[in-house]
Amino acid sequence: MKFQDYYETLGVARTATQDEIKQSYRKLARKYHPDVSKEAGAEERFKQVGEAFAVLKDPEKRAAYDQMGSQWKSGQDFTPPPDWNAGFEFNDGNYGGDQSEFFESLFGRQARGGQRQQRRSANMNFKGQDHHAKIMIDLNDAFQGAKRSISLQMPTYDSNGNLVAQERKLDVTIPKGIRAGQNLRLAGQGGPGMGEGGAGDLYLEIAFHPHPLYRVDGRDIYMDLPLTPWEAALGASVTVPTPDGPVAMNIPANSSGGRKLRLKGRGIPGKEAGDLYAVLTITLPPADSEAHKEAYSNFAKAFDFNPRT
Amino acid sequence: MIQTNITIFQTSVVEEEVHMTIVELCQAASTPADQIMSWVAEGVLSPAGSSPQDWRFSGNSLRRARLAAALTKDLDLNTPGVALALDLLEEIAELRARMQRSNLL
Repeated sequence: MKFQDYYETLGVARTATQDEIKQSYRKLARKYHPDVSKEAGAEERFKQVGEAFAVLKDPEKRAAYDQMGSQWKSGQDFTPPPDWNAGFEFNDGNYGGDQSEFFESLFGRQARGGQRQQRRSANMNFKGQDHHAKIMIDLNDAFQGAKRSISLQMPTYDSNGNLVAQERKLDVTIPKGIRAGQNLRLAGQGGPGMGEGGAGDLYLEIAFHPHPLYRVDGRDIYMDLPLTPWEAALGASVTVPTPDGPVAMNIPANSSGGRKLRLKGRGIPGKEAGDLYAVLTITLPPADSEAHKEAYSNFAKAFDFNPRT
Repeated sequence: MIQTNITIFQTSVVEEEVHMTIVELCQAASTPADQIMSWVAEGVLSPAGSSPQDWRFSGNSLRRARLAAALTKDLDLNTPGVALALDLLEEIAELRARMQRSNLL
């Protein structure tokens, strides 16, 4: 197990006041909040910061943590000394997130103690908790519809009321026309209910794997379509690879770079199908031989053209 | 580790096929009803219907309610703060989408 320097995580001195710790935590929490930040690894940082704050904001936990001494560095192999927490008592037992092994070995696992499943009782009827998870699918799955096997890990209670990890494999139908950010609801696949209350629901939020060619915006798909200068100037018919297969597209004469050509209804299918936009980019061939250089000079001679006037 | 295999055929797309009452939204977003009501009052959520009993939330409300709940809990934001954050996040998402359309990201 690796030691974690909670002061370093929050960027404060070991002598920091409670106000300084809180201030630093708030700043980092806003910066790395997974719903706000687009930075890679933000979610991981957010958890670390939350864990550090959970310890340092609490005078008892902070004192116990401090007692282990300041000689430890983050990432060092670490085993808590025996009786390290003698004289301290942490009984809240619920930290509401997934903590590092380091944290759990010191302060206990989430939901341990006092949170065992209550006995079923005739006059207690609660619907089970709704669960939420994210799944990544291919853009193609939204075009064709698909069956995907996904596995989810969920904490659950065994027959003795102990918290254990349960892996569930679900075969899920991905409906044609699904879009990123939408949720699939799987009725009755959430947490177990109590008494007459049914099980909760499971919600799966959809995200697409990034695609090398296509950029997705709601129902619409954008792609770059490279053209030669003569195709753009004279017009042409080119083959565009759409997710549904190749389509011939007419490029109007005198098209400029950045122009968007729309293929109506070629975006993500549905009652209102999206569109596919080909964004024109003009690619110049390099002048790397005498013949090519001559062609460019002739080109220059044929035009009285200065784009800077 | 316990393993189970479950086959599911019945799924619905929340944003298109689902409308929720306040009770269902409370359950799905793990949020108390008075919190949902304060978000409606602040314009964070806009259900159809005139009184809380008649409210029908569109599927999109689930995402917004969950986001509002996470920001409230994690950043200790008050209701107007949540409303402002959601508006700004939406604007940023729109700007990012515009950049992405032109391949600037």
